[in-house]
Amino acid sequence: MVIRGILSHAGSLALTTTQRQHGVPFFQLETVSRLPHAAPLSWQSESADLPRDFSDRGALNSLLKQQFPDASGELSPIQGGRDAAERQLSQINAKRYGRSRNHLNGSVTRLSPYIRHGVLTLSEVRDAVFAQLKANKQQRDEGGKLINELGWRDFWQRMWNDLGDRIHDDQEDHKTGLNPSDYQQNLPDDIREGRTGLACMDGFRNELVSHGWLHNHARMWMASYLVHWRRVHWSVGAKWFLEHLLDGDPASNHLSWQWVASCFSHKPYFFNRQNLDRYSDGSFCQECQSNQSCPFDKSYEQLEKQLFKVQQPIREGARPHRSSKPSKRKGPHQGIQRL
Amino acid sequence: MDPRKPIIWVHEEALGPSNPAFHEYPDAPGLFVFDEDWIQHEDISRKRIGFLYESALSLPVSLRRGNVVGEVLRFGQRHGADAVITTKAVDPRLQRVSAAIDRELPVWMIDPDPFVKLLKPPRLGRFSRYWRDAEAVVWEDF
Repeated sequence: MVIRGILSHAGSLALTTTQRQHGVPFFQLETVSRLPHAAPLSWQSESADLPRDFSDRGALNSLLKQQFPDASGELSPIQGGRDAAERQLSQINAKRYGRSRNHLNGSVTRLSPYIRHGVLTLSEVRDAVFAQLKANKQQRDEGGKLINELGWRDFWQRMWNDLGDRIHDDQEDHKTGLNPSDYQQNLPDDIREGRTGLACMDGFRNELVSHGWLHNHARMWMASYLVHWRRVHWSVGAKWFLEHLLDGDPASNHLSWQWVASCFSHKPYFFNRQNLDRYSDGSFCQECQSNQSCPFDKSYEQLEKQLFKVQQPIREGARPHRSSKPSKRKGPHQGIQRL
Repeated sequence: MDPRKPIIWVHEEALGPSNPAFHEYPDAPGLFVFDEDWIQHEDISRKRIGFLYESALSLPVSLRRGNVVGEVLRFGQRHGADAVITTKAVDPRLQRVSAAIDRELPVWMIDPDPFVKLLKPPRLGRFSRYWRDAEAVVWEDF
Protein backbone atom coordinates (compact mmCIF):
# COMPACT_ATOMS: atom_id res chain seq x y z
CA MET A 1 0.00 0.00 0.00
CA VAL A 2 1.30 3.39 -0.93
CA ILE A 3 1.21 5.90 1.87
CA ARG A 4 1.65 9.46 0.81
CA GLY A 5 2.02 12.23 3.26
CA ILE A 6 0.56 15.46 2.00
CA LEU A 7 0.04 19.02 2.90
CA SER A 8 2.80 20.20 5.18
CA HIS A 9 4.59 16.88 5.08
CA ALA A 10 5.97 16.98 1.62
CA GLY A 11 8.78 14.54 1.41
CA SER A 12 7.70 12.51 4.39
CA LEU A 13 5.07 12.81 3.80
CA ALA A 14 -36.73 -7.07 9.32
CA LEU A 15 -38.00 -8.50 6.57
CA THR A 16 -36.00 -8.66 3.49
CA THR A 17 -37.95 -8.29 0.33
CA THR A 18 -37.56 -7.24 -3.23
CA GLN A 19 -39.89 -4.34 -3.70
CA ARG A 20 -41.59 -3.99 -7.01
CA GLN A 21 -42.29 -0.50 -8.17
CA HIS A 22 -44.04 -0.02 -11.46
CA GLY A 23 -43.47 -3.74 -11.79
CA VAL A 24 -39.76 -3.19 -11.29
CA PRO A 25 -37.49 -5.44 -9.27
CA PHE A 26 -36.08 -2.95 -6.83
CA PHE A 27 -33.51 -2.76 -4.10
CA GLN A 28 -33.11 -5.51 -1.61
CA LEU A 29 -34.89 -3.63 1.13
CA GLU A 30 -34.88 -3.92 4.87
CA THR A 31 -38.44 -2.89 5.38
CA VAL A 32 -38.74 -3.02 9.13
CA SER A 33 -36.13 -3.55 11.66
CA ARG A 34 -32.72 -4.97 11.14
CA LEU A 35 -29.66 -2.78 11.42
CA PRO A 36 -26.07 -3.62 10.59
CA HIS A 37 -24.30 -5.35 13.42
CA ALA A 38 -22.16 -2.71 15.08
CA ALA A 39 -18.47 -3.53 14.79
CA PRO A 40 -16.87 -3.80 18.27
CA LEU A 41 -14.56 -1.03 19.48
CA SER A 42 -11.33 -1.61 21.38
CA TRP A 43 -11.61 1.71 23.24
CA GLN A 44 -14.13 3.21 25.63
CA SER A 45 -16.95 5.31 24.26
CA GLU A 46 -17.53 8.83 25.49
CA SER A 47 -20.79 10.25 26.66
CA ALA A 48 -20.94 12.62 23.70
CA ASP A 49 -20.52 9.79 21.19
CA LEU A 50 -23.54 8.95 19.12
CA PRO A 51 -24.95 5.51 19.99
CA ARG A 52 -23.98 2.42 18.02
CA ASP A 53 -26.50 -0.03 19.37
CA PHE A 54 -30.13 0.13 18.35
CA SER A 55 -33.04 -2.18 18.82
CA ASP A 56 -34.26 -1.55 15.30
CA ARG A 57 -34.34 1.02 12.49
CA GLY A 58 -37.19 2.83 14.21
CA ALA A 59 -34.84 3.63 17.09
CA LEU A 60 -32.27 4.96 14.64
CA ASN A 61 -34.94 7.06 12.96
CA SER A 62 -35.94 8.52 16.33
CA LEU A 63 -32.35 9.31 17.21
CA LEU A 64 -31.78 11.09 13.92
CA LYS A 65 -34.95 13.09 14.41
CA GLN A 66 -33.61 14.21 17.77
CA GLN A 67 -30.01 14.82 16.73
CA PHE A 68 -30.71 16.37 13.33
CA PRO A 69 -34.09 18.07 13.77
CA ASP A 70 -33.74 20.16 10.60
CA ALA A 71 -33.10 17.17 8.35
CA SER A 72 -36.31 16.45 6.48
CA GLY A 73 -38.08 13.16 5.90
CA GLU A 74 -37.62 9.66 7.22
CA LEU A 75 -35.13 6.85 6.73
CA SER A 76 -34.99 5.38 3.27
CA PRO A 77 -36.03 1.75 2.93
CA ILE A 78 -32.67 1.34 1.19
CA GLN A 79 -30.27 0.29 3.88
CA GLY A 80 -26.68 1.38 4.24
CA GLY A 81 -23.77 -0.80 5.29
CA ARG A 82 -21.60 -3.50 3.86
CA ASP A 83 -24.03 -6.38 4.27
CA ALA A 84 -26.70 -4.56 2.32
CA ALA A 85 -24.13 -3.63 -0.31
CA GLU A 86 -23.05 -7.22 -0.73
CA ARG A 87 -26.65 -8.37 -1.04
CA GLN A 88 -27.16 -5.82 -3.79
CA LEU A 89 -23.89 -6.79 -5.47
CA SER A 90 -24.99 -10.41 -5.56
CA GLN A 91 -27.99 -9.36 -7.68
CA ILE A 92 -26.08 -7.86 -10.59
CA ASN A 93 -26.48 -9.36 -14.02
CA ALA A 94 -23.99 -7.81 -16.40
CA LYS A 95 -25.50 -9.28 -19.53
CA ARG A 96 -29.05 -8.18 -18.74
CA TYR A 97 -27.73 -4.79 -17.68
CA GLY A 98 -26.30 -4.29 -21.13
CA ARG A 99 -29.61 -5.07 -22.79
CA SER A 100 -32.11 -3.41 -20.52
CA ARG A 101 -30.51 -0.59 -18.56
CA ASN A 102 -32.43 2.23 -20.26
CA HIS A 103 -35.79 0.88 -19.12
CA LEU A 104 -37.09 1.78 -15.68
CA ASN A 105 -37.64 -1.91 -15.08
CA GLY A 106 -34.28 -2.78 -16.55
CA SER A 107 -31.62 -4.77 -14.79
CA VAL A 108 -29.63 -1.88 -13.36
CA THR A 109 -27.39 -2.58 -10.39
CA ARG A 110 -28.55 0.05 -7.88
CA LEU A 111 -25.07 0.00 -6.40
CA SER A 112 -24.49 3.74 -6.74
CA PRO A 113 -25.20 4.68 -3.07
CA TYR A 114 -22.67 2.10 -1.89
CA ILE A 115 -20.03 3.06 -4.44
CA ARG A 116 -20.52 6.75 -3.74
CA HIS A 117 -19.60 6.29 -0.09
CA GLY A 118 -16.89 3.69 -0.50
CA VAL A 119 -18.97 0.92 1.07
CA LEU A 120 -18.05 -0.90 -2.11
CA THR A 121 -15.15 0.21 -4.25
CA LEU A 122 -15.24 0.40 -8.01
CA SER A 123 -12.50 -2.21 -8.05
CA GLU A 124 -14.63 -4.62 -6.06
CA VAL A 125 -17.56 -4.18 -8.42
CA ARG A 126 -15.28 -4.52 -11.45
CA ASP A 127 -13.87 -7.77 -10.05
CA ALA A 128 -17.39 -9.05 -9.33
CA VAL A 129 -18.38 -8.39 -12.93
CA PHE A 130 -15.28 -10.15 -14.23
CA ALA A 131 -15.96 -13.11 -11.92
CA GLN A 132 -19.53 -13.35 -13.13
CA LEU A 133 -18.50 -13.30 -16.77
CA LYS A 134 -15.94 -16.02 -16.18
CA ALA A 135 -18.30 -18.16 -14.12
CA ASN A 136 -20.93 -17.95 -16.85
CA LYS A 137 -18.37 -18.45 -19.61
CA GLN A 138 -19.42 -15.12 -21.06
CA GLN A 139 -17.33 -12.92 -23.29
CA ARG A 140 -16.08 -9.44 -22.64
CA ASP A 141 -18.82 -7.90 -24.79
CA GLU A 142 -21.47 -9.22 -22.45
CA GLY A 143 -20.09 -7.18 -19.57
CA GLY A 144 -18.90 -4.24 -21.60
CA LYS A 145 -21.76 -1.88 -20.85
CA LEU A 146 -21.51 -2.36 -17.12
CA ILE A 147 -17.73 -1.95 -17.06
CA ASN A 148 -18.21 1.15 -19.19
CA GLU A 149 -20.61 2.50 -16.60
CA LEU A 150 -18.05 1.95 -13.86
CA GLY A 151 -15.70 3.92 -16.05
CA TRP A 152 -18.18 6.78 -15.98
CA ARG A 153 -18.03 6.87 -12.21
CA ASP A 154 -14.23 6.99 -12.35
CA PHE A 155 -14.39 9.70 -15.01
CA TRP A 156 -16.68 11.89 -12.92
CA GLN A 157 -14.38 11.59 -9.94
CA ARG A 158 -11.37 12.55 -12.03
CA MET A 159 -13.32 15.52 -13.41
CA TRP A 160 -14.21 16.60 -9.89
CA ASN A 161 -10.63 16.25 -8.76
CA ASP A 162 -9.66 18.42 -11.71
CA LEU A 163 -12.40 21.04 -11.34
CA GLY A 164 -12.74 21.23 -7.58
CA ASP A 165 -15.35 23.79 -6.57
CA ARG A 166 -15.73 24.86 -10.20
CA ILE A 167 -18.05 21.87 -10.52
CA HIS A 168 -20.75 24.32 -9.37
CA ASP A 169 -20.19 26.67 -12.32
CA ASP A 170 -21.49 26.47 -15.87
CA GLN A 171 -18.80 24.59 -17.76
CA GLU A 172 -19.82 26.09 -21.11
CA ASP A 173 -22.38 28.47 -22.58
CA HIS A 174 -25.97 27.28 -22.86
CA LYS A 175 -26.91 26.23 -26.40
CA THR A 176 -30.62 26.87 -26.03
CA GLY A 177 -30.58 30.47 -27.16
CA LEU A 178 -31.45 31.47 -23.60
CA ASN A 179 -29.32 33.31 -21.09
CA PRO A 180 -28.55 31.86 -17.66
CA SER A 181 -30.67 34.68 -16.20
CA ASP A 182 -33.69 33.36 -18.11
CA TYR A 183 -33.79 30.39 -15.74
CA GLN A 184 -35.44 30.85 -12.36
CA GLN A 185 -33.45 30.37 -9.18
CA ASN A 186 -36.19 28.78 -7.10
CA LEU A 187 -37.66 25.31 -7.20
CA PRO A 188 -41.41 25.64 -7.87
CA ASP A 189 -43.55 24.37 -5.00
CA ASP A 190 -45.58 22.02 -7.17
CA ILE A 191 -42.40 20.20 -8.17
CA ARG A 192 -40.95 20.10 -4.67
CA GLU A 193 -44.26 18.81 -3.30
CA GLY A 194 -45.05 16.39 -6.11
CA ARG A 195 -48.28 17.96 -7.30
CA THR A 196 -47.57 18.95 -10.88
CA GLY A 197 -50.45 16.77 -12.02
CA LEU A 198 -48.05 14.81 -14.22
CA ALA A 199 -48.02 11.21 -13.03
CA CYS A 200 -44.47 10.63 -14.24
CA MET A 201 -42.89 13.70 -12.66
CA ASP A 202 -44.84 13.38 -9.43
CA GLY A 203 -43.94 9.70 -9.31
CA PHE A 204 -40.25 10.46 -9.79
CA ARG A 205 -40.42 13.15 -7.11
CA ASN A 206 -42.07 10.75 -4.68
CA GLU A 207 -39.45 8.09 -5.27
CA LEU A 208 -36.66 10.62 -4.92
CA VAL A 209 -38.01 11.90 -1.62
CA SER A 210 -39.03 8.57 -0.11
CA HIS A 211 -36.21 6.31 -1.33
CA GLY A 212 -33.39 8.66 -2.24
CA TRP A 213 -32.73 6.86 -5.49
CA LEU A 214 -33.94 7.22 -9.06
CA HIS A 215 -33.23 5.33 -12.25
CA ASN A 216 -30.90 7.24 -14.54
CA HIS A 217 -33.56 7.76 -17.17
CA ALA A 218 -35.95 9.20 -14.59
CA ARG A 219 -33.21 11.60 -13.50
CA MET A 220 -32.73 12.71 -17.09
CA TRP A 221 -36.43 13.21 -17.73
CA MET A 222 -36.96 15.09 -14.51
CA ALA A 223 -33.91 17.30 -15.06
CA SER A 224 -35.04 18.05 -18.59
CA TYR A 225 -38.55 18.89 -17.42
CA LEU A 226 -37.27 21.29 -14.78
CA VAL A 227 -34.72 23.02 -16.97
CA HIS A 228 -36.44 23.17 -20.34
CA TRP A 229 -40.17 23.09 -19.65
CA ARG A 230 -40.14 24.98 -16.36
CA ARG A 231 -37.05 27.13 -17.02
CA VAL A 232 -35.47 26.33 -13.66
CA HIS A 233 -31.71 26.83 -13.53
CA TRP A 234 -29.90 23.50 -13.52
CA SER A 235 -28.11 24.30 -10.27
CA VAL A 236 -31.43 24.57 -8.42
CA GLY A 237 -32.49 21.10 -9.50
CA ALA A 238 -29.03 19.71 -8.89
CA LYS A 239 -29.03 20.96 -5.30
CA TRP A 240 -32.50 19.52 -4.72
CA PHE A 241 -31.34 16.12 -5.96
CA LEU A 242 -28.36 16.21 -3.62
CA GLU A 243 -30.62 16.84 -0.66
CA HIS A 244 -32.22 13.47 -1.29
CA LEU A 245 -30.06 11.12 -3.36
CA LEU A 246 -28.29 8.51 -1.28
CA ASP A 247 -25.65 8.47 -4.01
CA GLY A 248 -25.56 12.25 -4.03
CA ASP A 249 -22.32 13.09 -5.71
CA PRO A 250 -21.70 16.63 -6.94
CA ALA A 251 -19.44 15.36 -9.71
CA SER A 252 -21.85 13.13 -11.60
CA ASN A 253 -24.92 15.02 -10.44
CA HIS A 254 -23.87 18.55 -11.36
CA LEU A 255 -22.17 17.66 -14.61
CA SER A 256 -25.11 15.51 -15.66
CA TRP A 257 -27.55 18.33 -14.94
CA GLN A 258 -25.31 20.58 -17.01
CA TRP A 259 -25.30 18.00 -19.77
CA VAL A 260 -29.10 18.13 -19.81
CA ALA A 261 -29.07 21.93 -19.70
CA SER A 262 -26.49 22.09 -22.54
CA CYS A 263 -23.68 23.77 -20.64
CA PHE A 264 -21.65 20.55 -20.55
CA SER A 265 -22.67 19.27 -23.97
CA HIS A 266 -23.24 20.40 -27.52
CA LYS A 267 -27.05 20.30 -27.31
CA PRO A 268 -29.77 20.29 -24.68
CA TYR A 269 -31.34 16.97 -23.77
CA PHE A 270 -35.09 16.75 -24.14
CA PHE A 271 -37.63 14.01 -24.65
CA ASN A 272 -41.24 13.48 -25.59
CA ARG A 273 -44.12 11.38 -24.35
CA GLN A 274 -43.42 8.55 -26.75
CA ASN A 275 -39.90 8.24 -25.38
CA LEU A 276 -40.98 8.33 -21.74
CA ASP A 277 -43.84 5.92 -22.34
CA ARG A 278 -41.53 3.46 -24.07
CA TYR A 279 -38.84 3.31 -21.43
CA SER A 280 -41.27 3.40 -18.52
CA ASP A 281 -43.27 0.61 -20.17
CA GLY A 282 -46.44 2.67 -20.07
CA SER A 283 -46.56 2.74 -16.32
CA PHE A 284 -47.44 6.42 -15.97
CA CYS A 285 -49.43 7.73 -18.91
CA GLN A 286 -52.55 5.64 -18.61
CA GLU A 287 -53.25 6.71 -15.07
CA CYS A 288 -52.13 10.30 -15.53
CA GLN A 289 -54.72 13.00 -14.90
CA SER A 290 -52.97 15.06 -17.58
CA ASN A 291 -53.27 12.29 -20.12
CA GLN A 292 -55.21 14.52 -22.50
CA SER A 293 -53.07 17.60 -21.90
CA CYS A 294 -49.60 16.11 -21.63
CA PRO A 295 -46.89 18.73 -22.19
CA PHE A 296 -44.63 16.05 -23.63
CA ASP A 297 -47.11 14.76 -26.19
CA LYS A 298 -45.61 16.52 -29.19
CA SER A 299 -43.14 15.85 -31.93
CA TYR A 300 -39.52 16.71 -31.36
CA GLU A 301 -39.79 19.43 -33.97
CA GLN A 302 -42.70 21.02 -32.11
CA LEU A 303 -40.86 20.80 -28.81
CA GLU A 304 -37.74 22.38 -30.23
CA LYS A 305 -39.76 25.38 -31.34
CA GLN A 306 -41.54 25.59 -28.02
CA LEU A 307 -38.60 25.12 -25.67
CA PHE A 308 -35.62 26.79 -27.29
CA LYS A 309 -34.83 30.04 -29.04
CA VAL A 310 -32.14 28.55 -31.23
CA GLN A 311 -33.42 25.64 -33.24
CA GLN A 312 -31.20 24.80 -36.14
CA PRO A 313 -28.07 23.83 -34.17
CA ILE A 314 -30.18 21.69 -31.89
CA ARG A 315 -31.89 19.84 -34.68
CA GLU A 316 -28.72 18.98 -36.48
CA GLY A 317 -27.80 15.49 -35.51
CA ALA A 318 -30.17 15.56 -32.58
CA ARG A 319 -31.65 12.13 -33.03
CA PRO A 320 -29.35 10.25 -30.67
CA HIS A 321 -30.40 12.64 -27.92
CA ARG A 322 -34.04 12.24 -28.61
CA SER A 323 -34.26 8.54 -28.89
CA SER A 324 -32.39 7.63 -25.71
CA LYS A 325 -31.86 4.31 -27.36
CA PRO A 326 -28.77 2.46 -26.24
CA SER A 327 -27.04 4.01 -29.20
CA LYS A 328 -23.43 3.88 -30.22
CA ARG A 329 -23.12 7.57 -29.55
CA LYS A 330 -20.72 8.29 -26.73
CA GLY A 331 -22.25 11.15 -24.81
CA PRO A 332 -22.39 12.08 -21.17
CA HIS A 333 -26.01 10.97 -20.97
CA GLN A 334 -24.73 7.43 -20.90
CA GLY A 335 -23.28 8.17 -17.53
CA ILE A 336 -25.86 9.94 -15.45
CA GLN A 337 -25.69 7.73 -12.39
CA ARG A 338 -27.40 4.81 -13.98
CA LEU A 339 -25.84 2.25 -11.67
CA MET B 1 8.88 9.60 10.66
CA ASP B 2 5.98 7.19 10.44
CA PRO B 3 3.08 7.66 12.82
CA ARG B 4 3.45 5.61 15.99
CA LYS B 5 0.12 6.27 17.65
CA PRO B 6 -2.32 7.51 15.05
CA ILE B 7 -6.07 7.74 14.92
CA ILE B 8 -8.12 7.04 11.79
CA TRP B 9 -10.51 9.63 10.43
CA VAL B 10 -13.09 7.99 8.18
CA HIS B 11 -14.93 10.37 5.85
CA GLU B 12 -17.95 10.07 3.59
CA GLU B 13 -16.02 8.64 0.64
CA ALA B 14 -14.51 5.71 2.53
CA LEU B 15 -17.23 4.03 4.58
CA GLY B 16 -16.33 0.47 3.72
CA PRO B 17 -14.11 -2.29 5.06
CA SER B 18 -11.81 -1.84 2.07
CA ASN B 19 -10.75 1.49 3.51
CA PRO B 20 -6.97 0.95 3.46
CA ALA B 21 -6.49 2.81 6.75
CA PHE B 22 -8.05 -0.11 8.60
CA HIS B 23 -5.61 -2.54 7.01
CA GLU B 24 -2.54 -0.40 7.54
CA TYR B 25 -3.38 0.56 11.13
CA PRO B 26 -5.73 -2.13 12.47
CA ASP B 27 -5.24 -1.10 16.11
CA ALA B 28 -5.79 2.62 15.64
CA PRO B 29 -9.00 4.11 17.07
CA GLY B 30 -11.31 5.35 14.34
CA LEU B 31 -13.81 8.20 14.10
CA PHE B 32 -16.58 9.28 11.76
CA VAL B 33 -18.09 12.73 12.20
CA PHE B 34 -21.42 13.91 10.83
CA ASP B 35 -20.56 17.33 9.45
CA GLU B 36 -23.26 19.59 10.85
CA ASP B 37 -22.29 22.57 8.73
CA TRP B 38 -22.60 20.52 5.55
CA ILE B 39 -25.85 18.91 6.64
CA GLN B 40 -27.44 22.25 7.47
CA HIS B 41 -26.05 24.25 4.59
CA GLU B 42 -26.97 21.66 1.98
CA ASP B 43 -30.31 20.66 3.57
CA ILE B 44 -29.23 17.04 3.66
CA SER B 45 -32.25 14.83 4.32
CA ARG B 46 -32.58 12.33 7.12
CA LYS B 47 -32.44 9.37 4.75
CA ARG B 48 -28.99 10.41 3.56
CA ILE B 49 -27.79 10.80 7.14
CA GLY B 50 -29.32 7.43 7.98
CA PHE B 51 -27.56 5.76 5.08
CA LEU B 52 -24.23 7.16 6.26
CA TYR B 53 -25.04 6.11 9.83
CA GLU B 54 -25.83 2.53 8.89
CA SER B 55 -22.71 2.33 6.77
CA ALA B 56 -20.56 3.66 9.60
CA LEU B 57 -22.08 1.16 12.04
CA SER B 58 -20.43 -1.64 10.10
CA LEU B 59 -17.03 -0.17 10.85
CA PRO B 60 -14.97 0.04 14.07
CA VAL B 61 -15.42 3.78 14.51
CA SER B 62 -16.79 6.11 17.13
CA LEU B 63 -19.54 8.40 15.87
CA ARG B 64 -19.83 12.09 16.57
CA ARG B 65 -21.61 15.06 15.09
CA GLY B 66 -20.44 18.64 14.92
CA ASN B 67 -17.47 20.45 13.48
CA VAL B 68 -15.34 17.79 11.81
CA VAL B 69 -12.00 19.45 12.40
CA GLY B 70 -12.71 20.06 16.06
CA GLU B 71 -14.06 16.58 16.67
CA VAL B 72 -11.13 14.85 14.97
CA LEU B 73 -8.62 16.93 16.94
CA ARG B 74 -10.47 16.26 20.18
CA PHE B 75 -10.53 12.53 19.43
CA GLY B 76 -6.83 12.63 18.64
CA GLN B 77 -6.04 14.43 21.87
CA ARG B 78 -8.05 11.95 23.90
CA HIS B 79 -6.08 9.06 22.42
CA GLY B 80 -2.73 10.81 22.59
CA ALA B 81 -2.40 10.61 18.83
CA ASP B 82 0.66 11.78 16.94
CA ALA B 83 -1.05 11.69 13.54
CA VAL B 84 -4.33 11.27 11.69
CA ILE B 85 -4.63 8.57 9.05
CA THR B 86 -7.25 9.00 6.37
CA THR B 87 -7.90 8.19 2.73
CA LYS B 88 -7.39 10.68 -0.03
CA ALA B 89 -10.67 12.46 -0.76
CA VAL B 90 -11.98 13.92 -3.99
CA ASP B 91 -14.53 16.27 -2.44
CA PRO B 92 -12.94 19.73 -1.98
CA ARG B 93 -14.84 20.10 1.29
CA LEU B 94 -13.10 17.05 2.69
CA GLN B 95 -9.78 18.28 1.35
CA ARG B 96 -10.30 21.54 3.24
CA VAL B 97 -11.10 19.61 6.40
CA SER B 98 -7.89 17.60 5.98
CA ALA B 99 -5.86 20.76 5.53
CA ALA B 100 -7.37 22.32 8.63
CA ILE B 101 -6.68 19.22 10.74
CA ASP B 102 -3.16 19.08 9.40
CA ARG B 103 -2.43 22.53 10.71
CA GLU B 104 -2.80 21.10 14.22
CA LEU B 105 -1.99 17.40 13.86
CA PRO B 106 -0.16 15.71 10.97
CA VAL B 107 -2.49 14.11 8.44
CA TRP B 108 -1.30 11.10 6.49
CA MET B 109 -3.30 10.12 3.46
CA ILE B 110 -3.59 6.74 1.85
CA ASP B 111 -4.65 6.40 -1.76
CA PRO B 112 -7.77 4.28 -2.14
CA ASP B 113 -7.61 1.28 -4.44
CA PRO B 114 -7.84 2.74 -7.97
CA PHE B 115 -10.32 1.53 -10.56
CA VAL B 116 -7.66 1.70 -13.23
CA LYS B 117 -3.94 2.40 -12.95
CA LEU B 118 -2.82 4.60 -15.82
CA LEU B 119 0.79 5.40 -16.52
CA LYS B 120 -0.02 9.02 -17.23
CA PRO B 121 -3.04 11.19 -16.37
CA PRO B 122 -5.84 10.54 -18.86
CA ARG B 123 -7.35 13.21 -21.05
CA LEU B 124 -10.54 14.54 -19.52
CA GLY B 125 -13.18 16.99 -20.73
CA ARG B 126 -15.27 14.33 -22.41
CA PHE B 127 -15.73 10.73 -21.36
CA SER B 128 -14.73 9.38 -24.76
CA ARG B 129 -11.24 10.81 -24.43
CA TYR B 130 -10.77 9.31 -20.98
CA TRP B 131 -12.18 5.93 -21.99
CA ARG B 132 -9.90 5.69 -25.01
CA ASP B 133 -7.00 5.75 -22.57
CA ALA B 134 -8.55 3.65 -19.80
CA GLU B 135 -10.70 0.91 -21.34
CA ALA B 136 -7.97 -1.43 -22.51
CA VAL B 137 -6.16 -1.13 -19.18
CA VAL B 138 -9.32 -1.96 -17.22
CA TRP B 139 -9.82 -5.13 -19.23
CA GLU B 140 -6.24 -6.32 -18.76
CA ASP B 141 -7.37 -7.97 -15.53
CA PHE B 142 -10.12 -9.96 -17.22
